[in-house]
Amino acid sequence: MKTLMCRVAAVAVLASPIAQAQNAEIAATVTDERGKPIADAVVIAVPADGSLRLPAKAPDEVVDQVDKEFLPKVQAVLVGTPITFPNRDSVRHQVYSFSPAKHFELPLYSGTPQAVVFDKPGVVVLGCNIHDWMVGYVYVSESPYFGKTDADGKTVLANLPPGAYVARVWHPQLAGTEEATRKTVDASRGRRTAVAWALSLKPEVKIRRAPAAGQRGGY
Amino acid sequence: MDFPSRPGCRSSAVPRARVPALFVLGLATALHGAGARADWELGASAGAFYDDNLTRAQNPADKRAAGAASAQASAINFHPFTGSDSGTLTLYARGELFSRYTGLGNAVAGATAAYRHKFGVGALAPWISVSAGASYDDYRDDLRTSTRVDVRAEAGRRFSEDLDASVGVYYERRYDDNGEPVVPGISGKVFDLAGQGAFVRAGYSPTNELYIDAKAGVRRGDVESTSQRNFQIFIASSAIAADPVWGDPALFAYRLRGTTWTGALTGSYALSNQSSIDVAYNYGFTQAAQGLEYTTHAVYLTFIYRH
Repeated sequence: MKTLMCRVAAVAVLASPIAQAQNAEIAATVTDERGKPIADAVVIAVPADGSLRLPAKAPDEVVDQVDKEFLPKVQAVLVGTPITFPNRDSVRHQVYSFSPAKHFELPLYSGTPQAVVFDKPGVVVLGCNIHDWMVGYVYVSESPYFGKTDADGKTVLANLPPGAYVARVWHPQLAGTEEATRKTVDASRGRRTAVAWALSLKPEVKIRRAPAAGQRGGY
Repeated sequence: MDFPSRPGCRSSAVPRARVPALFVLGLATALHGAGARADWELGASAGAFYDDNLTRAQNPADKRAAGAASAQASAINFHPFTGSDSGTLTLYARGELFSRYTGLGNAVAGATAAYRHKFGVGALAPWISVSAGASYDDYRDDLRTSTRVDVRAEAGRRFSEDLDASVGVYYERRYDDNGEPVVPGISGKVFDLAGQGAFVRAGYSPTNELYIDAKAGVRRGDVESTSQRNFQIFIASSAIAADPVWGDPALFAYRLRGTTWTGALTGSYALSNQSSIDVAYNYGFTQAAQGLEYTTHAVYLTFIYRH
């Protein structure tokens, strides 16, 4: 799963090993303003000339429900990717999203329902109508060149055709706009280009899951 | 006792001990049928509390205060019927040990069944719930040993991730089969109580760990107050019994009609998704017939774990 998260989705763009060896890489590092690594940040690179070459069919991805949480909490996919939502819990879930990028609802289910195709770029916020505290995110990228940072705040976008890119970053708690994080990156042939972001994050506000005591009192 | 006898007092002699047993049996059957698609959780809590007016007395000389330790174990079965409807069945057992008044020590076994409906999809959709509960409360002092049943209805909604509120009404009944009359013609079942009430509550999370819940309510119905012999209270009471829990001087328990205003403030600090430490303050002010008024203050410290 971690491999899946960190890889670049451009699986079908380049074919030959020679061509791959000549491709470029962007090594992204995302931290907060104090330099602390930020995990689950999605880094997207778009060719500056707008020449996107999308694969014919994006591979399926998975967002599990384990112990009444979405796993992974942040899933980055290429536009057009089908995602399945297997329920690994004993209790049934009802996954939904009201996000403009994908409005859907999977009626109460166990097991694995039919995949949902995420056909519009943007951020999709996931919820469960049974367990209100469950929140997950699907970042639907319009570019095949993207990755998600690990616990060290790092990800590598590999197999990029050499050239200029506009790179940006998104995170569920990003304080500003995604557009404000844009950077132009010159990804040279056969080289790894380092890019770093220091983001300002909003506090995470979650619906409480922990139990609380009932109130008592005699008369 | 040399209280004058007085007609028209209520007495309930119907045995009620089977009520919670049948209720628990019914719930167990329902739980068995719930199958693997339901969610089982086990809960445990332990804590302590202090109540400054356990006797619910007006006069300072009659007030008795004490601290107690409490513990509870529960099994909770959550079962979504549809995306909008769910049921929760809870079986629990709890006990309390008081520092000074051993007769107040108790062991309780009970069950609650609740149904909840959500009007729509999403965390902010409004909801309603109805519940029914029953318990058998076995006190070391038999006077308080009783069966309780209650029904509740509540409606609420979440306004944001960190703010929610609800309003509710309830009816509760406590059946006392043990109170012995001390005055001819007047029931001794002082803990045979019925009442109904309404409440409003709101919860706010200033941080992801801290949750603050504020609740205000009013209840109309029977109340029990303990004092030394008091003619005014006697005139207003519908049941009287000697209450040996408190030792000397001898106190008597009275059942009266009254209105109670309550307020509660709870701060709950989440240690994890499964556990929390709660601190609560409860306030109560009761007005009953013949000018009887009493206030209660209680503080609770509880550790809660759920798995």
